[in-house]
Amino acid sequence: MTFFRFDIDTRSRLAGRFIGRVRRELLKAIVEEKQGGLTQQELARRLETRRSDINRQLSGEAEITLRSLADLAWALDREVTVELRRPDTATGQNIAPATSTIGYQPVRIIARKAPND
Amino acid sequence: MPTISDLVHNGAIVKIDVELAPHDQPLRLLYGTPQFVAWLREVLDGAQPDQLLGHSSIAEQIDDLFYSFLSGEQLIFTRQFRAVRAEENAVWELKTPDVRIFGWFMAKDCFVAVFGNWADTIKDHDLYRGYRIAIRRLRRELGIDATLCVKGVAPDDVLSV
Repeated sequence: MTFFRFDIDTRSRLAGRFIGRVRRELLKAIVEEKQGGLTQQELARRLETRRSDINRQLSGEAEITLRSLADLAWALDREVTVELRRPDTATGQNIAPATSTIGYQPVRIIARKAPND
Repeated sequence: MPTISDLVHNGAIVKIDVELAPHDQPLRLLYGTPQFVAWLREVLDGAQPDQLLGHSSIAEQIDDLFYSFLSGEQLIFTRQFRAVRAEENAVWELKTPDVRIFGWFMAKDCFVAVFGNWADTIKDHDLYRGYRIAIRRLRRELGIDATLCVKGVAPDDVLSV
């Protein structure tokens, strides 16, 4: 074996990457603000919360609600942009399969072909 | 002196990828030892720690980590990757809320994963030293300790953004 694809189903992939992206965007903003002198302690003071709570959200150990995302964005002087759009499909692009072939859940056969078809 | 291609052809490492989005191009390279790939298969079969800290499954966390890495996204130093110890030819750690992956950079933007485990298990049993020593030994056995190994420990020694 010279190649291995870590392949999970589309629903899981979208969820995991969305959650990860939100966290990364927050971390990037914090790194940028840190260069300007903002500490996590100061961030906690602005949000009137505990530093450890913010740390747990940023490490992914506590859930970031829409409210806390908006509050963090405010405290970091950022705006949140949300957009739901249909997936891009055009010739020459990577085409993500609609269903996984090796997904970590058992493969579900949606419509089995009849023997005489 | 083996090349990356030699290591792939003799089965010492396996190229790993994930599904990329339509507009993405792979900007980094990810390899794993056969032992690491076996661990990934266990994850795909549903292996997970007793207590999940993150709010996505283990497989989702790993997929997101690999996707970020391969598509060339900025990874956050210490939060998502770090050198286990500041030393020449360092061993590096990739991180998700529940998972730690240990390996080394053969070149800038080219990582070899050797061990994966649950974050809690690693902290509870202090496995950092053991993994570090095992990875250094593996590199020596493969004959690449001095050639296919990034020497620096600064973030931009191993990743370009």
